[in-house]
Amino acid sequence: MDNSKRRFLKGCGGVIAGMSVYTVTQTPQANTTEQASELKYAMVHDENLCIGCNACEDACRQVNHVPDGVTRVNIERSGPFGEYPNQSYRFSRHSCQHCEAAPCVKVCPTGAAYIDEETGIVAVNEDRCVGCQYCIAACPYQIRFINPETRVADKCDFCQQTQLSEGLLPACVLACPTNALVFGNLKDPASALVKTLKSKPTYRDKVDLGTRPKLFHVRTIDGEIVL
Amino acid sequence: MSAFHFDGLVWHWPIAIYLFLAGLSAGAVFFAIMLKHFKLADKAYLSPFVQAAAVIAPIAVCAGLGILVIDLTKPLAFWKILVFYNTSSVMSMGVLVLLVYQVMLFAWLGSVFSTPIQQWLKQRLPLLNKLLALLARHEDVITGVLVILSLSLGAYTGFLLSALIGFPLLNNPVLPLLFLISGLSSGAAATLLGGVLMRGNPNGVEVRFIHRIEIPMILVEIALLFTFFAGLILSGGQSQVAALNAIGEGFWGWIFWAGVVGVGLTLPLAFNLWMKVSSDRKFAYVAVTASFSLIGVLLLRNFILYTGQMTAV
Ligand code: SF4
Ligand code: SF4
Ligand code: SF4
Repeated sequence: MDNSKRRFLKGCGGVIAGMSVYTVTQTPQANTTEQASELKYAMVHDENLCIGCNACEDACRQVNHVPDGVTRVNIERSGPFGEYPNQSYRFSRHSCQHCEAAPCVKVCPTGAAYIDEETGIVAVNEDRCVGCQYCIAACPYQIRFINPETRVADKCDFCQQTQLSEGLLPACVLACPTNALVFGNLKDPASALVKTLKSKPTYRDKVDLGTRPKLFHVRTIDGEIVL
Repeated sequence: MSAFHFDGLVWHWPIAIYLFLAGLSAGAVFFAIMLKHFKLADKAYLSPFVQAAAVIAPIAVCAGLGILVIDLTKPLAFWKILVFYNTSSVMSMGVLVLLVYQVMLFAWLGSVFSTPIQQWLKQRLPLLNKLLALLARHEDVITGVLVILSLSLGAYTGFLLSALIGFPLLNNPVLPLLFLISGLSSGAAATLLGGVLMRGNPNGVEVRFIHRIEIPMILVEIALLFTFFAGLILSGGQSQVAALNAIGEGFWGWIFWAGVVGVGLTLPLAFNLWMKVSSDRKFAYVAVTASFSLIGVLLLRNFILYTGQMTAV
């Protein structure tokens, strides 16, 4: 009996030792490789300037070859508010928020969902994705989807693969007729993005979840007050 | 909004079945180990109940994994989950636990059934015989590790859902515990049902042993369910909305009250208490009680999965 107890403990010890070795080998070498990138992309959607024309969605679809039935960006319309003839609508951008602490990245079993260290963009590595849809369920903003053509997880990546690699602004930003979308580097104080953030009051969605989203909104003035 | 199709629904019933089967396998193994350790000792391999668990556990966990793989949008790429690991992902760590669990499960079965297998082999495969002897010698280590792994597997199914921070009903610390206990009770029920179907004695020492654990386990499960929903309702906000959406009127409310609470918990509890008093267990009682428990746990998995995704923060 004593002998068997000892061996039982030995077995448990083995498991724990194995797990700790595993954890140690998996620890990211944060301190050695991180040389604080100068880039961190973010976006502002000014709901006061937005007219709900949907040019952003169409441009995104074209540039990023997004199939019908799914979309990477969606302008949600609410309203009307006020009495005729002074009615107004509120338009709100619904797309990936490029969270600093991204739940989708945390849960992805293969590392297919990842944060690009250089730009802060939350992206998808198509080759790694197996389509378990864990990230889709984990994203509190419900903006991820399975691309019906590639069969892997898909979402807005600030046009990382298409426009940015060519040195261009994201397709939605270029297409917007009212300049309601401002894209830029959060770490550059001279950027239009930072200037907008400093000159207008903005809000971010569901900040209490601790995801630290990088999509900012300027709240529309005539919208309704919701408690 | 219908019960099975609504906005925001990502994971459908195959996932619920996977969660059910993983918990059932873990529970069956757990009870087979308990039976051997506390009651049957070296005669364990002769018990139809241990034999039933030995059949059910590997089949359930393999079937569960199979369902999981088929449910991927790229099933042929499933090997990538086995090659790439992400330590912050519950699913990734769960896959690791599942793999080691399966290896240890077969090792344990080999050690427990080494005598009959060796008799049957009659020295025909000397290498396999050597392996079995080796396993039998290290049975206590294998058993210890397997107990830990089965409990991890049982809790993992709950952790998998509670990592979804956008859904207050799922992102709940009680969920892993609730899934662990209900998984264990489904394993107990499957072992009992399989055992009596394999002509085990419905009044035997195994049934009495499991039934003794089953009553407190059902009571704990009821307490956990109560804590689960009381906690949500007292938190207010979307948590409260989520809880009331789930157990209020409508299809899932019915499933919860009639299926989970009625068929899955109250009836088995009543039958168990009654069998304890009358101290006469017959085939039909044991089989019906076990079936009710199994149905209850299967419904609970579906109920949590669907209602959990119904209300977002
Ligand atoms: S918004 Fe969703 S998909 Fe985008 S980074 Fe955040 S959690 Fe991930
Ligand atoms: S669907 Fe793809 S990207 Fe999303 S969690 Fe699964 S493997 Fe990762
Ligand atoms: S293109 Fe600009 S104005 Fe038009 S919907 Fe998009 S953000 Fe609004």
